[in-house]
Amino acid sequence: MHKELIVQPEKCTGCRTCELICSFVHVQEFDPTRSRINVFNFEKVGFSVPIVCQQCSVAACMEVCPVGAISRSDITGALEVNHDKCLRCKMCTIACPFGATIYDPIKDIIAKCDLGKGDPMCVKLCPSGALTYQEPTQANVNKRKAYAAKFKAVYEEVG
Amino acid sequence: MIIIIDNQEVQVSYGDTILDAAQRAKIHIPTLCHHQAFAGQGRCRLCLVEVTEQGRKRIVASCTYPITREITVCTSTPRIEKMRKNLVMFLYKQAPASKLLQSMYRDYECQDNSLPENAGEKCMLCNLCVLACEEMGSSAISLIMRGTEKKVATPYNEASLDCLGCGACAAICPTQAIELTERDGYRTIWNKEFKLVNCQNCGQPYATQEQLAYIESRGPDNEMLHCCLSCRQKMTAQKIKIFT
Repeated sequence: MHKELIVQPEKCTGCRTCELICSFVHVQEFDPTRSRINVFNFEKVGFSVPIVCQQCSVAACMEVCPVGAISRSDITGALEVNHDKCLRCKMCTIACPFGATIYDPIKDIIAKCDLGKGDPMCVKLCPSGALTYQEPTQANVNKRKAYAAKFKAVYEEVG
Repeated sequence: MIIIIDNQEVQVSYGDTILDAAQRAKIHIPTLCHHQAFAGQGRCRLCLVEVTEQGRKRIVASCTYPITREITVCTSTPRIEKMRKNLVMFLYKQAPASKLLQSMYRDYECQDNSLPENAGEKCMLCNLCVLACEEMGSSAISLIMRGTEKKVATPYNEASLDCLGCGACAAICPTQAIELTERDGYRTIWNKEFKLVNCQNCGQPYATQEQLAYIESRGPDNEMLHCCLSCRQKMTAQKIKIFT
């Protein structure tokens, strides 16, 4: 099994270190607006949550891509964009239900989390342990499934 | 099979093009009409290389030449450089308003001459936009007319029913010849005006109706399709907040 990037929002302090290091690793600039992970702070209730690509097993970005430029990496299991093959039609950015696939107009590429090519710096530098990179244990898988089921229920209510 | 490109041994399989093999081995061959999503077109001819096969030399377009036996390839010889220089000069005459070709014209040190120019033209007829549109499943544009009249257009230059307004053609164009404007919630491309769909949450325009229909027809169900991208992130965060 591939390792997974697991987010535990209850541990997140909202420091945005992950945003800074993500942009630095990928675009060599400390620019949170170009980061592939985004932290949302709810200051009144003291709650923060990082939003990042879930590397979905049935991935909307991969399914809508007309040229198959998005594929799952054998090494990390992450959905990676082949920038040479990509047409920049930006369908994947509209298709992603989490808004986790973005277009970077400065580099002219589709940017999404690639799990740091198997060495995510956001996890290394996360001071509170809200981001972890580990093999999925059965307990984790069950948790995620329960979480996803709840999500689905809410979306159906809203939709 | 092993072939030799610029004195370097390169492992290839039967039927690979020379350009593919060279790109894999990180050997640079200049191209204009090539894109990895498509097979070689052999249109711009800039990727010319010299192939030595059984002692005989010949010049081929590397993007369309399939490797079927052991050959020796040279990507830059005085003869090839001279041909490339002429090609750049001709491409520049076709599209003198293109910044890319202007800089190539200078870099290749082309001599000014009295050949007529297509004044104001940016399109060099590389056909990449047509291929991109075809790949999107639309084929709203194609090369029309012949000879000096040749250009990329929608049928009869009218607003096409098939155009999605995705802008893949404009994004892939190496010379930025295709105009896509977005103003006051409207996107205009190829003489067609698209009313952009507004985000259900914040009201910002973010995509065309045709793009959303395309995604609905191909992708898995998506309850968030009618929200803009930043609202999707925000709403996901809010949902997680409720549950934690």
